[in-house]
Amino acid sequence: KRRRAPYVDDEDIEERLESLIARVGEKSTKSLVGNLEDLADVLVMDLNKYKQKIIKILISCYLRMPEKLTIYSTLAGLLNKANYDAGGEFVEILVRNLKECIRSNEFENARKLVRLISDLVNCRVIIAGSLLSMFDNFVEVTLEDNIPQSRSDWYVYAVLSSLPWVGQELQEKKEAEFERVLSTIENYLGKRQKIHAPALRVWSTDIPHPQEEYLDCLWAQICQLKDKNNWRESAIMRPYLAFDDRLCDALSHSLPQIIPHSHHDDDSYPLPHIVFRMFDYTDVPEGPTLPGSHSIERYLIEEHLHYLIHQNCMERKDCAAALLSYHGKDQVPINYMIVEVVFSQLLQLPKAPYLELMYGVLLLELCKLQPGSMPQVLAQATEMLYERLDTMNASCIERLISWFSYHLSNFQLRWSWDDWSQVAVATDLDSPRPYFVREVFQKCMRLSYHKRLIEIVPGAFEPLLPVAPKPRYKFEGEGSEKLAGKVAAQELKQVICSKCSPEQAVDVLRDLPNPLTDDDGSDMSGIYNPLKIEVFVQTLLHLGAKSFSHSFAAIAKFHQVLRAFGETQDAQICILKSVYELWQDNQHMLVFLVDKLLKTQVVGCGAVANWIFSPEMSGDFTCSYVWEIMHSSIKKMNKHVQKLTKEVEDAKDRFEAAERRARDGLDEDNDDDVPSEEQIERMEEKLEEAQSEQKNLFLIIFQRFIIILTEHLAKCESEGRDHSTPWYKWVNERLQQVFLMHHEQVFKYIQTLESFLFTSDVDVHILSVFQQFCALRS
Amino acid sequence: NRIEQEKALLTSTTLYIGNLSFFTAEEQIHELFSRAGDVKRIIMGLDKYRKTPCGFCFVEYYTRSDAEMAMRFVNGTRLDDRIVRTDWDAGFKEGRQYGRG
Repeated sequence: KRRRAPYVDDEDIEERLESLIARVGEKSTKSLVGNLEDLADVLVMDLNKYKQKIIKILISCYLRMPEKLTIYSTLAGLLNKANYDAGGEFVEILVRNLKECIRSNEFENARKLVRLISDLVNCRVIIAGSLLSMFDNFVEVTLEDNIPQSRSDWYVYAVLSSLPWVGQELQEKKEAEFERVLSTIENYLGKRQKIHAPALRVWSTDIPHPQEEYLDCLWAQICQLKDKNNWRESAIMRPYLAFDDRLCDALSHSLPQIIPHSHHDDDSYPLPHIVFRMFDYTDVPEGPTLPGSHSIERYLIEEHLHYLIHQNCMERKDCAAALLSYHGKDQVPINYMIVEVVFSQLLQLPKAPYLELMYGVLLLELCKLQPGSMPQVLAQATEMLYERLDTMNASCIERLISWFSYHLSNFQLRWSWDDWSQVAVATDLDSPRPYFVREVFQKCMRLSYHKRLIEIVPGAFEPLLPVAPKPRYKFEGEGSEKLAGKVAAQELKQVICSKCSPEQAVDVLRDLPNPLTDDDGSDMSGIYNPLKIEVFVQTLLHLGAKSFSHSFAAIAKFHQVLRAFGETQDAQICILKSVYELWQDNQHMLVFLVDKLLKTQVVGCGAVANWIFSPEMSGDFTCSYVWEIMHSSIKKMNKHVQKLTKEVEDAKDRFEAAERRARDGLDEDNDDDVPSEEQIERMEEKLEEAQSEQKNLFLIIFQRFIIILTEHLAKCESEGRDHSTPWYKWVNERLQQVFLMHHEQVFKYIQTLESFLFTSDVDVHILSVFQQFCALRS
Repeated sequence: NRIEQEKALLTSTTLYIGNLSFFTAEEQIHELFSRAGDVKRIIMGLDKYRKTPCGFCFVEYYTRSDAEMAMRFVNGTRLDDRIVRTDWDAGFKEGRQYGRG
């Protein structure tokens, strides 16, 4: 028996208990069963004195490490056997926690608790019949009227995802009632809407592997588990079986009635998802077989791996090690399963759960830990993803480009390039594979440099390789003599180089004529001068061309001038056009400069959006960098609104707190931090302004999308051509991307969008993107 | 002073980046570190006499959490085939960009 050090104080004990409970099940020289037995003995001794603490720690450890479910349920079983009252209290607290989680919309934790409660039936803590009544209440939600589907989905999901643990027990003890629950679920799944599904698919095709809606897939897995395997699975470690003779005569508890509280409009249920499938058993050359897509083991192991990533993603080395030491690693081709799970997260729509860079680093660590096998599996996966680009969603292609360029940059840009060289002779360089290669080169160049890229990539790729990323300054060199601004540009260059003031620089441009106005001296106020802007922007940025820092220093020094030039949105668009003309061969610089112009408020988000849809940008419209710019401007807008929202909330909180204090007659003089009502009003006005700007931005973007897509569709129809060209695919999926990437924000304006833009006269191809988006939460 | 220094390190949004190649440009560093979060500015370390890059720089983020991401996920990976080292820095001050000549 473990000898205990004398406790110093309660905090000390709590820490000790916490550490013991958290660590049980980790690798040790003793067997898991032995460890559990020892720990149970220790806890039983402390149970009278520290019951509440022990229960609290058990639940929090489980929620943090849900893959250790059966270890904690066994422990609970042993405690219940030794102390029936403590077992009862544990159940009571669990149920309270579950209700609280549901009420506060922490649905993932709630689902974990449902599963723990289910597994406690196996450990003789809870009576099977009472679990079934809870399930019964849960699936009855599917019969409610006027609720969002996401609500009934969650309750069904919570039940289904617990069945691998407790299905057999329910089948044996309560077959008829259990069958009723299952058939309610089956009926529900049969009539469920799946309009949202196309928006969430990584691939639009089911070849070679079906990409199933998560509930459909889990249902198929459960059916196979039930019908073919009689509820027996091989992925769950069940330590309680070793204690069967001790637990079999334990007294079990009944669950109290758990009735789902009725739907509230503020409730936000989890978004649905599609199950990502990349491999099947034929892809694995040797060793154990990959479980089929409808075998429950696939689901159980995948979920376990997801949990490991969730817990360890902040420590990449621990994360890679945890994944590779999964307890059942010898029964399955674990490397394939890990790679599939990592890519499923990286490519998940609407968003990857964690920072995209994390996945890149994690894959590097995995390769480092298993240099003999992981790099091959990863190369095979990359090859497959490349082969399947044609039907891959644009957002996913983008993330893949970003990951692959990063990965290559960690391996000296080495790849079996020759295998892909066919792609450079494709007829449409906008079709997915040439697009992918072209964009990978661009990103590789950003992490490296042009010369190095040209040296390493075979010459056959020439049509897809970037040109040298140099500026094209139009007021120097061949053909510049005849330009109207030539002389002024030369002079401007001179004065800037001799460190002139902003006023002196503006002075040089004073006499430049305005091509937008007639010479009759009509009123020129309010009309910007594109020539002045062009000469100034091009010359200034050309002088700062040496690096990002030089460019930014130039912008900072002449910030006032730039802001004065960009008085109207048209003028701002003109500034952007001048920047583009200069740096059209350097995408990285364009991304950087537009970002800085936005941050320094020389241009606004609306101007950037309109510029991107302008005819001048049509040549680059499908390029990835353009959308990098678009999304980063939207994000800036969103951040701004979020910041103001928080400020208003904080101010209101402080105001109310002060009022409360005043009512209670407390410290009246402590008013230094309390905002006045007028101040709050002003803040609210500012917020409303920002929100209407945000709404406007989305309106501009969606309207422009509708216009160009409608034009394309009409043109194809009148010419009798198929509308689904590579260009159409990109643009359509970019539209989808704007919805998905900013879904929290766009959702706020869904009514406006529906009544002003996505009306019934819009082409059904475009409208369906909007409808899919709406269906995500309906 | 040492306590203040340590306090500054705990709230800093600036990283010191070492072991860079002399040929690695600011733009490359920007691309890599932007993947961890929004970069505010980069200050290249320069040779005191020749004023050319000499293998280190400072990367400043807008937020602490983005800088933490860079510490976690960029440290120890490669840029221009060299293993990048990142460290917390108490904050850039004029003059610190000059390395040994």
